[in-house]
Amino acid sequence: MKLLQLSPSSLRKHLAGQGVWLRTGPFSLRIQSRLPRVAEGLIELYGQFEVRDSNLAFADFHVEINSPSMLRRWFRPQVNFSFDGDLPFKPLPLDQAYPMLEWGLNWSISMHAHQYLIIHAGVVEKNGLAAILPAPPGSGKSTLTAGLVLSGWRLLSDELTLIDRKTGLIQPLPRPVSLKNESIPLIRDFSPDAFINRASHDTAKGTVAHMRPPKESVRRQHEPARPGWVIFPKWSADSSTTLTPRSKAQTFMFLAQNAFNYSQLGADGFRVGTRLIEQAECYDFQYSQLDQAVAAFDRLANAAPAAKAA
Amino acid sequence: MARFQIKCFEHEAVVFDTASGDTHYLTPLAHALYMTSRDQPGKNLSEMTTALALSFEVEPDMHFGQLIDHAMASLQQIGLLETP
Repeated sequence: MKLLQLSPSSLRKHLAGQGVWLRTGPFSLRIQSRLPRVAEGLIELYGQFEVRDSNLAFADFHVEINSPSMLRRWFRPQVNFSFDGDLPFKPLPLDQAYPMLEWGLNWSISMHAHQYLIIHAGVVEKNGLAAILPAPPGSGKSTLTAGLVLSGWRLLSDELTLIDRKTGLIQPLPRPVSLKNESIPLIRDFSPDAFINRASHDTAKGTVAHMRPPKESVRRQHEPARPGWVIFPKWSADSSTTLTPRSKAQTFMFLAQNAFNYSQLGADGFRVGTRLIEQAECYDFQYSQLDQAVAAFDRLANAAPAAKAA
Repeated sequence: MARFQIKCFEHEAVVFDTASGDTHYLTPLAHALYMTSRDQPGKNLSEMTTALALSFEVEPDMHFGQLIDHAMASLQQIGLLETP
C-alpha cells in the first residue's frame, strides 16, 4: 500500500510505536518518531511511496528521530537522529527535525550502500539517458534539478547519484528535493503547483525546505537509466545560458573526489567511474534563467539518440 | 594485477595506483611523455623532448624543456616512471 492510504492518526501511531516501513529506490527503511513534524513531513512528501507493516518486512536501515530527553522537550527542544541505535550527529533544534531526517537518510545510504559508487550529485533522466549534475554548494544544482523535474525530466535523485557497480546503470532514489534559501521562492514562482513543505530556518545550510518528488518519478523508482551526460551547473546572475564541453579526465577526477565511497571501492571504483565517464558527454553549464536552462537541457535530450530501455 | 591502471580520455589520462589507492590526473604532456617512454624505451630525455615538441607543434626551446622536466617529475613522483 502507499503511505497516503494510511490515515494521519494511523501513521503517527505506527511511527511512535514499531515504526513505519517505507521503500525508497532500492532501500527499505524503518522510521520511528514521536515528533508531529516528522509525521507531517512524511505525509506531505512521501504519500506515493510504498509502506508495509514494519513487523513483517525486513528493513535495510532502522532510523529514529526523537527528542533526546524529557527535559529537552520543554527547554530549547532538540532532536536526535539515530541509526541502528547509534547517534552519528549532534542534536539539532526541534524546528529542524524533518530536514534532519532527510540528511540522516542521505548519510545512512552514503555510508553503507557500497554496492553502488555514490557520487554527490543530482541526477535526472529523459529519453532513457541520465544527466548527472555534480557541483559544489551554491552552484544552483538543486534549483536546476527541481526546475528540470517540474518540466518533464524524471527525478532520479537530488543528492546521491547511485551507480550500480555490476551494470554501470544509475539507480533511481527519487526522494524529496532539498531547496535552500532563495531557491525556495524561485521554485514556487517557477511552478506554483509544486508542493514545498514548510521551511526550517537557521539550519547549517540556511533556510531549508523540501519539494515533493513527482508521482511519475516515484512510480518508476525501480527503472534504472543509462549515463548520458555529466554537467556541471553554475548559476550566475545575468549570465547567458551556455553549455561548454569539458575535459573527461578532469571530470572523472572531480567525481572521484566528490564520491562518498570511491576510496573504499579501490580499483573497482576506478573501473566503474571511468566506465561512466566513457559513456557520458561532459559539459560546464552556466545559466541565470531557469526556463532557459530547462530549454537547453531539452535540446540536449532531443538531440541525443534515444537510449534503449535499460 | 598490474600496479597501475590507466584510462586514457583523448589526450589526457587518469591513473589508479593499486598499491596506494591514489588516483592521479595526467596532463596531455605528461600522458604523451609516459606513452613515449613506454613505447620507445631506448630514447633519452633530449630525444623525447624533440619528438614531443614535434608532436605538439612547438619549438623544443628552454620553456618546453622545463615543461618536460616538470611532467617527468610528476610521473616519477606517481611512480609511473622510475627515478634515474
